[in-house]
Amino acid sequence: MRGFIRSLAIAALVAAVPASAQQETIRIGVLQSFSGMTSLNGQQSEAAIKLFMKKYGDTVGGKKIEYFTRDTTGPNPEVAKRLVQEAVTRERAQILIGPDFTPNMLAAAPIVTEAKVPAIINGAATSGTIGERTPYYARTFFAIPQLCRPLATYAVKNNWKRVFVVVADFAPGHDCEKQYLGALAEAGGTLVGNVRIPLKNPEFSSYMQRIRDAKPDAVYFFMPIGEMSIGVVRAFNESGLKAAGIKLTGAGDITDETYLDAIGDAALGAITAGIYSTTHDSKINKEFVSEYVAMNGKSPRIGWVAISTWDAMRLIYDGLAAQAGGKFDPDKFMAFVKGHSFESPRGPVTIDKGNGDIVQNVYIRRVEKINGVLQNVEFETFKAQPFK
Amino acid sequence: MSSVASILFNGISYGVLLFIMSVGLSVTMGMMNFVNLAQVSFSMLGGYVMVVAMQKFGVPFLWTLPLAFILVGVVSIVLERLLFRFFYGTDDLTQVLLTIGLVFMSIAIVTYFWGGTYQRVNMPEWLTGQQELGGFILERYRIFLVVVGGLLAFLLVFGLERTNFGAMVRACVDNRRAANACGLNTDLIFAVTFAVGGGLAGLGGAMSANLLGLDPNFPLRYLVYVLIVVSIGGMGTIGGSLIAALALGIADVAGKYYFPSIGGFFIYIVTVVVMLCRPLGLLGRRA
Repeated sequence: MRGFIRSLAIAALVAAVPASAQQETIRIGVLQSFSGMTSLNGQQSEAAIKLFMKKYGDTVGGKKIEYFTRDTTGPNPEVAKRLVQEAVTRERAQILIGPDFTPNMLAAAPIVTEAKVPAIINGAATSGTIGERTPYYARTFFAIPQLCRPLATYAVKNNWKRVFVVVADFAPGHDCEKQYLGALAEAGGTLVGNVRIPLKNPEFSSYMQRIRDAKPDAVYFFMPIGEMSIGVVRAFNESGLKAAGIKLTGAGDITDETYLDAIGDAALGAITAGIYSTTHDSKINKEFVSEYVAMNGKSPRIGWVAISTWDAMRLIYDGLAAQAGGKFDPDKFMAFVKGHSFESPRGPVTIDKGNGDIVQNVYIRRVEKINGVLQNVEFETFKAQPFK
Repeated sequence: MSSVASILFNGISYGVLLFIMSVGLSVTMGMMNFVNLAQVSFSMLGGYVMVVAMQKFGVPFLWTLPLAFILVGVVSIVLERLLFRFFYGTDDLTQVLLTIGLVFMSIAIVTYFWGGTYQRVNMPEWLTGQQELGGFILERYRIFLVVVGGLLAFLLVFGLERTNFGAMVRACVDNRRAANACGLNTDLIFAVTFAVGGGLAGLGGAMSANLLGLDPNFPLRYLVYVLIVVSIGGMGTIGGSLIAALALGIADVAGKYYFPSIGGFFIYIVTVVVMLCRPLGLLGRRA
């Protein structure tokens, strides 16, 4: 009898071994800020991942997908570096989504190179930080030039030749200022003044007065989402610049859907360049929006981090499906991801073959009220914008 | 010329805003010797009272202001009875740690109930846009701020210097034991003073939300400004707070206009210089 049980046990073990070998588990580390002022990023990332896995299942290419989240707490490179280290060693993550914010991803680059862990960047926009830093980065967010160049061209084309440029005084702001001024000079526009606003600045009236003095045709704003983006748009309206006929233009962050309601009607008529609007007219987007709202409710509204996390999941699933059957190979995965094109709710997206950065359409939008809700309505497309 | 005038006006209105937000702290800190950093949380609470009252219950904006004052005053008196009064005699560090802990708790609580996003603050029609006044085009909301702020400063100074209750408060501050011995109910007087301080913070929050935005991180964003105003003005002097707030508001707006490349630092330069020359603040007095 004892012999029988033993042989049964052995048989069970033998049967179990190939079964576990058959189904490999891929662990995805999601490194976003889940606390503090930028906690919306983490919330929206996780919401997008949950929705994606509900819709497409938790197995792809014969591999089971699991994810875990870690809180980068905001732009905090020391924390991000430690979290990435823990994610790839202790947590055995094979793929990362994030880390968010430029300083965080710069700090993480050497680690992902050494560990050979592909990381999809969904929340940092500084240009020249993807393929330049590590072969294991791919980006589904946007690169600064994509938001900053097209509006200069658009402004001059519409005969708003005298432009005043206002950026926030931090690295992405300086990057954007350079890109915008370059494009403005190429298009033949004139810069009538520019100013950099310090971060954590609650009062904007002095800058509005400067704009008034310079009498431009249009103003271009680049601000981080939040207090600053809300503040400039409201101040622009309150100070009477909008009523004076000066055009309010800017990077799409200033009318980001998550904070658009907080700005209120002051945002009406603002013209921005953006990668995604929830009103984007395509079947795949309508489906995405209705499913997202059904799962997460109407508020907070869908921001860009949600869409770029959604696309990060798309990349991961497509990449894993492409190497179905075999064991997960990070180099093959990156080789597939780079050069991959797909249809996102935002429109067509391509991951650059050489760099891993994103190539995508940039839309010129105007804030309008549709059924009582403020929306960014796309009305012109700059196709397949490069990342530098 | 018109730009100088509008810079001056914008600076004054910003200063008035700083004054309304910080005068409550100045009162409790100077009069009662209690460092209540949670004062900025009271401001945030006032802001949320205003927003919720307007959006959920359709209360007109003007009525939300006394509402914010009263409700936040009540909350602060409850906290004072349950918590703060046990810490009146303790040292500054204990009080700072206790109240900064409350600030973090308030952020979490507000996030739990109203979410982490910015609130929509919609002003009535007559408070938006611009108004021509004596040849200058001024923002209506800022005119409103200056009028209300001026009224408030007058009421406070009058109340403290000219009324019976003001005299009692001053007596309690100067020598609590003697005041007690003379038959004053010092406990009650302190509680009422505390409530007025809290209510003023709530009023300040409700009035500032339109200009500064309102989200759960409001207290941490403005704590520094409030502390600067109180320390420059000198604790416990309402006149000092007013002068300091106006000076800082004008310095900040003018600094950013004339020297945009260093504009953000201007307010701190002023602070450092004043603190070096007058460590107790402009009108500070300490026995």
